[in-house]
Amino acid sequence: MAFDPSSLRHLFPILAQSAYDHPLTYLDNAATTQKPLPVLDAIQDYYRSFNANVHRGAHFLSDRATNRFEQARDTIASFINAPEQSHVIWTKGATEAINTVAFGLEHLLEKGDEILITSLEHHANLVPWQQLAFRTGARLRILPLTSNGKWEPEFSHYFTDRTRIFAATQISNAIGVSTPLQTMLDHAKQQGAFTLVDGAQAVAHYPIDVQILDCDFYVFSGHKMYGPTGIGVLYGKSHALEVLLPYQTGGEMVRHVSYQATEFNVLPYRLEAGTPHIEGVIGLAAACDFLNAQDRLSLLAWEQSLATHVYSRLHKEGGIEIYSPEKNTTLVSLSVPNIHILDLNAYLDSQGVAVRAGSHCAHPLMAQLGVAGTLRASFACYNTMEEANRFCDVLLEAIDLLNDE
Amino acid sequence: MTDSLGQQKPVNIKAQLQACRSKEETFKALVTLSKTLPRLSVEEKTEDNKVKGCESAVWLIMEENDGLRHFKADSDAKLMRGVLVALLSLVEGKTLADIQQMDLKAELAELNLSSYLTSSRTNGVLAILNKINTI
Ligand SMILES: Cc1ncc(COP(=O)(O)O)c(C=O)c1O
Repeated sequence: MAFDPSSLRHLFPILAQSAYDHPLTYLDNAATTQKPLPVLDAIQDYYRSFNANVHRGAHFLSDRATNRFEQARDTIASFINAPEQSHVIWTKGATEAINTVAFGLEHLLEKGDEILITSLEHHANLVPWQQLAFRTGARLRILPLTSNGKWEPEFSHYFTDRTRIFAATQISNAIGVSTPLQTMLDHAKQQGAFTLVDGAQAVAHYPIDVQILDCDFYVFSGHKMYGPTGIGVLYGKSHALEVLLPYQTGGEMVRHVSYQATEFNVLPYRLEAGTPHIEGVIGLAAACDFLNAQDRLSLLAWEQSLATHVYSRLHKEGGIEIYSPEKNTTLVSLSVPNIHILDLNAYLDSQGVAVRAGSHCAHPLMAQLGVAGTLRASFACYNTMEEANRFCDVLLEAIDLLNDE
Repeated sequence: MTDSLGQQKPVNIKAQLQACRSKEETFKALVTLSKTLPRLSVEEKTEDNKVKGCESAVWLIMEENDGLRHFKADSDAKLMRGVLVALLSLVEGKTLADIQQMDLKAELAELNLSSYLTSSRTNGVLAILNKINTI
């Protein structure tokens, strides 16, 4: 039986409001998802009943907070099937996780080494590598998507014996295209490169198994998977995490400090300087529990069916250009020639429809597509077919209103 | 040219925008206003004339005659052209001193345009105000 979003929509009270006298239609889920009651409750509960700093004072509340904090690490570890909880490092999001790796590996890079990324990357998985290349004299190389939105059938030559790092997104936030990760990771590993997968757009939709992916690093943000903002995860294999030099130092990450030297703590603490985002960690664990309680594959099938429905309604409309695939994606990214996406967005907003108009932090990709930006509707498990249709209806109205003659 | 800024009286623009009761009405009023903005030529759309910090491209040109300032502007986004019509109607033909005394943010808010002021990242009206004040 098909998934029915009303089975969980009531858990998202924020959706039951109107925007400018229209029902709020939230289709900006790739930017951030809304949070279900269990996540809100977990955060409240933390402050109401066990707020204390973790790993410090030995007292009743601190023990409770520390226990829950470390249990959360277990929850996240099993959510992505990490072999051990010490492989899960808390960060403030995907961005900080990538920066932790980019700075942490700097000492291993030499002039002439290559860092390979794809042309689909969010700036978060591009700028840190570009800057690392500037600092070390390494070369940033781009594995491109061809102009028809496909991957070249043969891309193994991008992976060379100088490739030291390969970093790729699992799914493009801008256009919803997936990368043929497994093949790419195989090539990278054959060359002995470190591999990093940006799972920011994947975790909310796909069950993740880092052991099957077999990448060195996997990163994501909590706020895109029904969890709080300001918390994210850097997963790493032990040898990969071990070689990272801590890019932040301070309290919590040390074992012994004198004025002459500091002995760093063991993993995961070595890479977690300062008081962590405890409420974020607790909330993220609740988000994992929420997702674990669902039939993930039927949620995914539902989200994809919404995107495919929108695609099929809009691709025949004269003038609408769609950059997303027809199937196997949870978002639709489009533009309309001669109409500015900000104008379309303004009308959608006036009707309570929240989407994203812009370059989606992917300037080079937009340049390749030949547009300044796109309009993106992105779906989550609570979205309904009525909402998908409403997006199409209102968009077509907007095009009518904005078309000159 | 049949449409010119001169034909849209500032009072008229003000009344039109203030009469809007919803975001949708403001949207439609801005679309209507946008049609009255004389477009700039390709030669006028220089890098220098571009307002930095807007997601839609916006160009602003000022000419001063006897201390009075006259503005021309354009954008690739239609609603922004509507906002520009409203904005320029406030400053057209004034002296720099007069313009600098005005609280343009407050005046735009009175025209139901405050939602165009909130996020400089998406539309950059604040960047335009800045340029008007410093040009
Ligand atoms: C694919 C991808 N990578 C990285 C990020 C950065 O995530 P955050 O801003 O939460 O660090 C995003 C967020 O939009 C994203 O979509």
